[in-house]
Amino acid sequence: MNATACYFVSAMADENSEIARGLRRRDPDLLDHLIEKYQHRLLRYLLYLTGRREMAEDFFQETWIRVLERGSQYDGRHEFSTWLFTIARNLVIDDLRRKRPASLDSLADEDAAVPFDLPATGQPSAFDATVQHEQNEQISAGMQHISAEYRESLLLRFHEGMSLEEIATVTGAPLGTVKSRIYRGLTALGPWVKGARL
Amino acid sequence: MNPDFINNDAMNSDPHQRARLLISLSGPEASNPERSWLAAHLEFCPSCREFADSTGQTIRSLRGFSITAGARLVSTTQLRVRQRALDLQRRQERFWMICTCCTAVTFCSAINAAVLWRGFAWMGQQARLSAPLWEGGFLVIYLMPAVLVGILLLARGTFLADYNGSSQDWS
Repeated sequence: MNATACYFVSAMADENSEIARGLRRRDPDLLDHLIEKYQHRLLRYLLYLTGRREMAEDFFQETWIRVLERGSQYDGRHEFSTWLFTIARNLVIDDLRRKRPASLDSLADEDAAVPFDLPATGQPSAFDATVQHEQNEQISAGMQHISAEYRESLLLRFHEGMSLEEIATVTGAPLGTVKSRIYRGLTALGPWVKGARL
Repeated sequence: MNPDFINNDAMNSDPHQRARLLISLSGPEASNPERSWLAAHLEFCPSCREFADSTGQTIRSLRGFSITAGARLVSTTQLRVRQRALDLQRRQERFWMICTCCTAVTFCSAINAAVLWRGFAWMGQQARLSAPLWEGGFLVIYLMPAVLVGILLLARGTFLADYNGSSQDWS
């Protein structure tokens, strides 16, 4: 490992330890900062998980309350985002279990009639924007039809850039299952991408 | 680099499956030999090349999604978290106060018991009472406040339970 990489790894470890200390103190300023820092990533994850904006926003708030309450459990040895996503995931699963005994899979069926609300980003030219928008629409439509577990794995891999091991930690699934979910998720979305191209 | 990135998977018996899995999991974990093998495979396999194009497109589209949390959601969350933090802090303070009070009460009652015992013993001697008699008197006097408070709390608890029960019946 070269000096620059060493520096970054050490800086990240320091940051995680700092977060762990702040969470043990229940420092409200630190929590404000963390909420701002992880707002988009957490909401995006919850939205991919639940497929519904209102539900995702409720879970967003509940996740931060839980972070406050259970902050002392974060040891600072792992990435804070991995711990945060694990908490969010457990909240969603607990809620589902309370309503009826189910796994994340049930969300896919529930969402079938609900549009997967994912706005597209701005693009450089009008043509590109139209093509990209159309493609995003198709992918959004595809997202409605794939399992929530596939959606979750795709997000963690391609949006969050997590390693397979980190995804396995967040989802509590074996590495082979994570690989399989990513592969199957992408394969399932394939026809929707082709549909956008035609 | 992880040499077992793809090799330990059950899907590897078929080279096309292996190639597709490698394409799907494209990331820093893939080893150089795996990348070279994939590049060589894609050169002569049009169907896997098509899959690679399609997967690349899907991944680009997935990365293109932008989801933002509204400012209102963030501020509401921050407010709720601050309120909860305050609530937890108050609860913690109350807990420490109760602990301190319990310690003080235990300490005082231990001293009190010793003083009262000596007082009863002295009065028993002065009144020429038998030991079991003044010891019984000490027990009654010493336990009376606790028994009274217990009875009152029980009565209040029963009253509350009755009240809640009737409220539920009314609704």
